[in-house]
This record gives sequence, C-alpha cells and structure tokens, in this order.
Amino acid sequence: MPQGVEPQQPPQDPTGAAGVPPTSRRRFLAWLSRAFLGLWGLGAAGAIGAYLRPPEHGPRIAERIVRVGLLEDLRIGEARLVRHGVTPFYVVRLDAGRVVALSAVCTHVRCILGFDRERRALTCPCHDGRFDLAGQVLSGPPPRALPSYTVSVRAGEVFVQL
Amino acid sequence: MRRAPFVLLLLSAATAALAQPGSQRPATSPPPTASAAAGRCGVCHPSERVQFERSTHAQEEVRCVSCHGGDDRSLAQAVAHGAGFLGRPRRDDVPRLCSSCHSDEGKMRAYNLPVDQYALYQTSGHGRRLAKGDMQVAVCSDCHGAHDILPRSDPASRVFPLNIPRTCGRCHGGNASAAGRRGKPDDHREYLSSVHAHELFDRGNPRAPTCVSCHGVHGAAPPTVGDVDKVCGHCHTAERRYFTAGPHREGMIAAGLPECVSCHGHHDTSATQPQRLASLCATCHGGKSKQVTLGAKMWTEYQAAATQIEQAAALIERADAVPIQTDDYRARLEEARTYLREALPAAHAVHEETVTGLTTRARSVGAEVASEIYGNLGHLQSRKLVLVVFWFYVLLTVVVLRRFQSRAARKD
Amino acid sequence: MSDAPRVGGTPGGGDASGGGAGPGPRGDWVAWLERRLNLTETFSFLTHFGLVWTPVDTSRPVREVVREVASQPVPAYARWPRVLGLLAAILFGLEVVTGVLLAYYYRPTPEAAFESTRTIVRDLPFGWFIHQLHGWGAWLLVIVVAARLLRLFWDGLYRAPREVLWWSAVAMAWLVLQSDFTGRLLTWDSRSYWAAVRGMEVVFALPVVGPLLAFLLGGRVINDDVLIRFYALHMLVLPAGFAFFLYLTFATLRRVGLSPEAPMHRGAATTLRDHLYSMLILSVLLFGVLTTLAVLAPFRFQAAADPYSTPTGVRPPWYMLAPYAVIENGPGPSWLLGLLLLAVAFAVLLLPLWAPRAAGGRALGRMRLWGLCALAAWTALSVLGAFMERR
Repeated sequence: MPQGVEPQQPPQDPTGAAGVPPTSRRRFLAWLSRAFLGLWGLGAAGAIGAYLRPPEHGPRIAERIVRVGLLEDLRIGEARLVRHGVTPFYVVRLDAGRVVALSAVCTHVRCILGFDRERRALTCPCHDGRFDLAGQVLSGPPPRALPSYTVSVRAGEVFVQL
Repeated sequence: MRRAPFVLLLLSAATAALAQPGSQRPATSPPPTASAAAGRCGVCHPSERVQFERSTHAQEEVRCVSCHGGDDRSLAQAVAHGAGFLGRPRRDDVPRLCSSCHSDEGKMRAYNLPVDQYALYQTSGHGRRLAKGDMQVAVCSDCHGAHDILPRSDPASRVFPLNIPRTCGRCHGGNASAAGRRGKPDDHREYLSSVHAHELFDRGNPRAPTCVSCHGVHGAAPPTVGDVDKVCGHCHTAERRYFTAGPHREGMIAAGLPECVSCHGHHDTSATQPQRLASLCATCHGGKSKQVTLGAKMWTEYQAAATQIEQAAALIERADAVPIQTDDYRARLEEARTYLREALPAAHAVHEETVTGLTTRARSVGAEVASEIYGNLGHLQSRKLVLVVFWFYVLLTVVVLRRFQSRAARKD
Repeated sequence: MSDAPRVGGTPGGGDASGGGAGPGPRGDWVAWLERRLNLTETFSFLTHFGLVWTPVDTSRPVREVVREVASQPVPAYARWPRVLGLLAAILFGLEVVTGVLLAYYYRPTPEAAFESTRTIVRDLPFGWFIHQLHGWGAWLLVIVVAARLLRLFWDGLYRAPREVLWWSAVAMAWLVLQSDFTGRLLTWDSRSYWAAVRGMEVVFALPVVGPLLAFLLGGRVINDDVLIRFYALHMLVLPAGFAFFLYLTFATLRRVGLSPEAPMHRGAATTLRDHLYSMLILSVLLFGVLTTLAVLAPFRFQAAADPYSTPTGVRPPWYMLAPYAVIENGPGPSWLLGLLLLAVAFAVLLLPLWAPRAAGGRALGRMRLWGLCALAAWTALSVLGAFMERR
C-alpha cells in the first residue's frame, strides 16, 4: 500500500541496472506481503465456511431413523443384525408384509443375541436366555422383554425408527 | 360361666365397631357368637378363630369342623366336642387329613390346584421318615401353617418365595433342634451367604432360586449324584450344555462326587469367580498335573482378554473427553464382552480350544478397538505439528505488519 | 474502526476527492461512494467507538479527514500497562465472533443442549477449535479484566475525576464473571450443571437478593426455564452491557484521559495509524496464544448432566474459590456470609467516595497497602477453597 508513490514505473523492465529492479522487486515484495496477509482472510473464510456448511450433507451417525435396506433382500424367516452405534438390533421378516425390529442386546447382562432360525427365537450365547420374536422372554435369566422398534416400509425400503 | 362377661364385652365392642360409619372391614370384626366359617367354635377359641378367618380356607367355605369334626353350632362343650370330634390331629395324620380334600380331583379342579402333593410327599425325605415313625419331620402344617393357610402368591404366606428360606430354615437352620441332633451344617445360614440369596433378597427377584427350586416342593429330597447337574442346569442351561459335553460329568459320577456343587459349594454358591479356574483344579487333580496347567491357562487367557477389554474401555473414556465419535467402538466392545462372558460357561467343558476360541475373539476385537482409538488420538497429535507451522506463520505476519508500520511511521 | 486502516492507508492525493472527478484508472470506489453517501459523517460516528476524538468537519471529504485523523497523536494504548483495556476489547470482539458461530448450532433446551454442543465439538469441522477459542478467550478475558482492575487501583485511577472509569471497569469485571458463569451452564454437562446448582443454592439462600434473582432467572430449580434465561443473558443482555461500558470507558477517557499524573514520556505517544498497526499485531499474537492453548491444553469434554447423580469434587470456577471458601468455612450462616461478600463487592464501586481527594502520594500508598492486604487475603482464601474438603 505505502509504495503507491511509484506507480508510473513500467513493470517488468529488467534493463534498468540501478533504479528499476529494486522498484519491481519492491512491488513484488509488497504484493507478496499483501497476499500473505490475505491468507488470513482466506483461512478464516475457509474454516468458517466448512463449519457453517449445512450438516445434512454429511452422513449423520446420531440419526434416529435407520435405513436397513430393500425389503426384497430380506428373506422370510431370516434375521439381519444391524450394527447401529451403541444400539445393535435385529430386523426379522415374519411373512410377506410384516417386519419386526428388536434390540439385539440381552436385557440380562448386555450380551449380543444370536438368531435361532429353527426355533424362530433370539438366543443369548452367554446364559441361554431366549426371546420370542415379539421380544418376550421365553426362558432363562433375562428380567425384561426386549425393546422393539417401529418399522416402516416405504417404496420397498425398510426403515427402523430407534 | 367364666367367659360370659368376656363375651358380652366382645359383643359390645363388635357392635360399637359396626356402628362406626367409617368401619372398613366389617367382615373381619367379630360378628355375634357365630361366623360363617368358624361357627361358634371361636367363642371359646378366639385366637384360632382370628387366624383362621384370615386364611384362604375360610374364604373357600372350609369350616373348623371340616378338619376337627364335632359340631360348631353348639356352645355347650359336650355337644360341640361330641360326635365325630377329632380334636387336634396327630402329626402323622396331618398329610392324610389334608389329602382328603387336596387329592380329590373333583374338589380341586375349580381352584386349578394340583392333586399330586400327597403322592409326592410320600416320596419325599419328609414323607418316608414320617412313615418310619419319625414324628419330628415336616408335615403339611409345618410349612403351610395350620389355621392361617395363605396362598403362595400372598407375601404374608410362609411359602411365598421370599419366605421359603426362613420356613425351611426353622428346621434346617442353626437354631433348630433337628440340625443339632443330626450334626449337619447350618444350611439356612449357608444359603443366606449365596449369590442366590443375594438375588432373592437384595435384588428382590422372586424368580431367584430358593430351597424348593433345587430340592423339590412336596417331594423334597436332596438331589443325588448324577442328578445335580440336571437340577442346576434347569436354570444354568449353557453351563450344563458345556459341562455335559466335557469329561467331568462322567468322571465325577464314577468317583461319586456330586457334579456342580463339588466346585461351587452346596448352599453357599458364590457369584462367578473366574480366578478360581487357576486354583480350584488342584483340589482334585495333582498339583503338577496337566489339568491344573489347563485351568491356569484358561484363567490366563480369560484375564488377558478382560484386561484388553478394560484397556479399550479406558481408551473410549479418553476419546469421549476429547471428544471423538465412539458409538461404534462401544458397540464393538459390547460384542467383545459377549465373547468374554460366553467363555465362562464354555470353561465348564474344560476344553482348551472352546475357551481360547472365545477369549481370543474377545481379545482381538478389544485390541482392534483400542488400536483404532489410538489411531484417532494420534490424529490429534498432528494438530501439534500444525501448531508449529502456524506459529511460523504468525511470526511472519507480525514481521510483515511491523514493516508496514515502520513504513507508515516514516511517511508521517 | 476496522475500516479505518484500509481507508487511511489507501494512496491517492486530495485530487481524487471532492466529488467532481470520475472514477480513476483503478476504479476509485471511495470517490464513487462519496458522491452517493456522506462518508465523513459515517466516519465521525465510528470515532465514538475508538480512541479518536476530534471534531470532524462533515463537509470535508473523507480521505482528508481520515488522513488527518490517522496522523494525530494518541497515547500508545498498545503498550503496558494500558494494553489491558485494549486486550479486553479485542477479546470481547473474539468472544462475539466465536459466540455467534456457536449460536448457529447450539440449542438451549436440556434435551438438546449437550447433544448440540457435542455435535459442534465432535462432528463439525473446526467446531472444536471455535469452542476452545471461545472457552480460552473467556478465561483470558476474566484474567485481563481482573488485572486491569488491579492496575487501575494501583495507580489510583478511581479518584475524581475518574469515577466513571472505575465504575465501568468494575461493571465490566462483573459482567465478564456473570457471562462466564452463565456460559458454563450452557454446555449442560455434569460438571457445569452441578457447579451451577451449587452456585445457585448459595445465591438463592440470600435474603432479598435470592428471591429477586430466582424471579429473574425463572425459578430456583435449574431446569429448562433457567437454561433459556441463562442463554438469553449470556448472548444478549450481558454482552450488550459489556459493550455499553466499553463505550462509556472510551467516552470518559476522551474527557479525562487515562493518566495525566504520569506525563507522556518518550514512546508513550504515537499516531493513530501506528496504533492501529500495533493493535493488529497484538490481535495476531493473541490469536496465536489462544490457538496454542486450544491445541495444547484443551478443555476436557465432560459427560452429559444427570440431575440425579452428583459427581464428586465439584468446585466453583477458580475466580469464585475465595467466596466459596468463606461461605463453606466462615462462621455464621451461609446466607449472612453471602450477603457480606455481596456488600463488599458493591463497596468496591464506592471506592472513589472514600478515597482521599488529594493526589498526595502518601494517601495513595496507604490505599495500595490496603489493596495488597485484600489481594493477599483473596489469594489465601482461593488456595484454601481449592484444596479444602466439602463439608
């Protein structure tokens, strides 16, 4: 800024031995310093811009509604374990239309349940607790029924609301 | 009559109680001379009457005379204790007396009660000793009460789950004469120190095992060698599955050792103690035997996996304080804990690969989680590197600004 | 003020001004704008918020005015010990900027407060940095404001005619402490929640003041009503008050100056242009220090607040440790002690009234001695508060 005193000098004139090169070097230096200071603004704008970007665009892990997949990929009588954050759950297709979602965490000591296809039950590998597909305790030590989640099928896709 | 003034007093008190507008329970306040259930017996036997009228029998139209005979319509002792009067039943008559109704399918059907109690009782330790003439053993009234019989679901009942240990402990406890006579250990007190009693009393779980869960109810008898694992396995299904798969069951039965209780204790069963894998084997197997080595190895494996999981959990805490997203790590650590918990029932198979398979999985998942968190925390270290570069930039900015400043000063 | 250096530093003689000439070869936007706006008037309004106080002839072109103003001598406010006031202003600006950025995502309800804070700190790019800047900036602001109070006291700048200066300084210190206290609750984590609960217990127990505050804060229980009021206080009321007293400080400085007793020695005076460069350098260095603190000593993120379980070892923030020690250990009921402390805090405002009017060095020395005693007592009590066990 303060070197505006010599704007008349033609830029890029390497012939002048004494007067011109310092001037152009000076101008270059001034330009460089200003660009250098401009980086602050650029950095701040970048950081704030990244911060302010609407968060819907990124994948949100704390989402409450989970997309499980296509309904036709789930076979009848088959269960799928969905690992979602701290709440893993099973999605079981009972028949053509009905799908249930049950927590996969045993209510006894929080073991992860397994699915017993022949008995159509969820069994706990730790202490043999068994749950039916309504979440009720069939046998074993679990003190409470399994929490179940609302399932909705929209356009052939299965969603579970946690 | 010495009792006449008392009766009058009772009468006036009863009418006064009835006359009170807020009187809540007119049915239990003594009605004049005769009641539906106790007839006139209560006039001379007031305390029995009070007990009886609270019982479930009184509500179901059982009367004094149903068990004691006689005539409850008369106040004259000669008539009341007259024809067909039984008086106090002999102890060895009590089971038969009760069974006169309780083994009658026709009478019990309406109450949905079983009718096999008498048959079961006769097979029990109590029943067999009674048949031999031991008048000290328990009969129906010792557990259910005589006059004050309540249904099992009533918390005041002696056979309510929470009251069962005390009911049995009256004879099978330290201060019972029977125990002293038989020179047996204090079963009641031992039970009270067990994990089962902790679950029953301290956590109030009515499904926790009491005396009758293992010994049977009316057919009460101690489980014999060969049956113990079936009894315990009723609840501890996973443990039994692994236990029967392993070599211990056959060997112990052959050696005459009761299955589960030889290691876990009879009545004072304690909570899970994985460290006993390292010490308990030596009580039967030799100190340097390969079985002892196997036990020690299982314990080492278990311990290593548990330590790994604890370490990963501590790292999760650290990551939460930054904070770093840890939901996924928590879920995977839960999975690792599942393997570790499953290793405990699996240890009953005393098969190395069965246990180490589970502990290795638990350990590897825990190690995976730990290393990933380490990686994420390591990214934070790179911030410090950026900080150094940043300071170079700050100082350069200051130099540039100083230059502008001095130029401006020269211009002024 | 931030416009001033750019405008002042722009080259170009008086020929580009006046309004008659067309845009220059580089597009003279100042001239273009000046033909449409009275920029000089705008600039004279801006001078109220800075250290410039000269009568401005609004009919003159802005460039001339700015050039003149920029070359005027001003006290060197970027030098010790005057720098404290400048630092407070810069830090306040930083708090406003980062606070606005945080407010874009923060939700002041008990259900969402912790979650939204965690989203900012954990999931958003640079969210942690903005949050740490805000926290460390507040921490430094408390220190700067307190140090400034000490320095004003030491140099006797509470005596007439500088009562307003003293009052604004005390008010700014109060407002900073209140902002810090209200801001701590907003994250709704276990530590901040219980610190607020414990603090409010003491305050609500005071006679008269307690019920009044409970009325103003929406109840005696720390719940959603109180949270949203804390939020409103933290981001609207208290900053507005701080800005007002900042302005009052500038206004009184223009009239009475900061320290006429010590005449401007060499280097104590500078031009406004020079001062603005110093201020920029100071801001950059301050930002560097805050960044270092944010990276090397970040505030730990706590677990969510649970109203049903008190964590152990909850202590008030460091600047409240001395009152905490007095209230917990002092003789007498806590409400009486609290009232006493409050009275002392307000008595500080009245310092100009009983300060000896004479500028004699002896009276000032005695006051300094008293002040030193008070500071020593405060430090000792703070140490006691930091290490004592809760009753």
